[in-house]
Amino acid sequence: METQMDNAAARVPAASWAWIWQAITGLGLVVLLALHMVAQHFVAEGGIRDYADVVAYLRNPLIVVLELLFLITVTAHALLGVRTVLFDLGLSDSAEKRVTQALWGVGVLTVGYGFWLTWVITR
Amino acid sequence: MRTDSKPRRVWQWGDVRQRKVGTWAYALNRITGLGLVLYLYIHLGVLSMLVGGPAAWDPFIKVVRSPLFYTLDVILIAGWLIHGLNGLRVTLTGIGLALGAQKALFVGLMVVAAIGLIIMAFMVFRS
Repeated sequence: METQMDNAAARVPAASWAWIWQAITGLGLVVLLALHMVAQHFVAEGGIRDYADVVAYLRNPLIVVLELLFLITVTAHALLGVRTVLFDLGLSDSAEKRVTQALWGVGVLTVGYGFWLTWVITR
Repeated sequence: MRTDSKPRRVWQWGDVRQRKVGTWAYALNRITGLGLVLYLYIHLGVLSMLVGGPAAWDPFIKVVRSPLFYTLDVILIAGWLIHGLNGLRVTLTGIGLALGAQKALFVGLMVVAAIGLIIMAFMVFRS
């Protein structure tokens, strides 16, 4: 009888920090992505805001906080996922460490870019 | 003991031939996940047009308000729904819940994804 899914490749060490963060950010994204989609797209005419509308929308400090939190969360979730895929290639310990460091760099640049872009639009 | 070569291991998770539902669920989660990562960076790149002000952004939004881009939006939403709901299953089973009902959970969540997609596709094209 099959009670477990055939998913040997998915097994990860229990309670690894990356898995926990992946789950936390994933759950956070359910809320933040829903807010982003409704506020940015579903209530906007034609599904996308024009420039004046974008600026007006970002004048609300709460919206800016939520959008930046969304960016941080989605970036972390995405790069943790990439890390998992890369680790499944069977990398050495030192290569895994370099991948983690590189993805941290990509993450910081991504979030930094988002903050910069928000600042440029709202200044 | 596994003796697979690295190239074999790279492809292993995506090889769903003659595999059970779990492997399909796993491969689906990865494919949608990688697609969404790609989309994230395309989306962030496109947003850089906002730096150019209304002269750069407003003509662009006229282009994306088209059936082609609405169709791409629906594909994107399908990716979110499949990845998000499948991810919920992974999280639940990862903390030891519903271990004996993974298959039913997966099928049920994919039905929810299909219903959600129909509703959202309607909303996208109506906008």
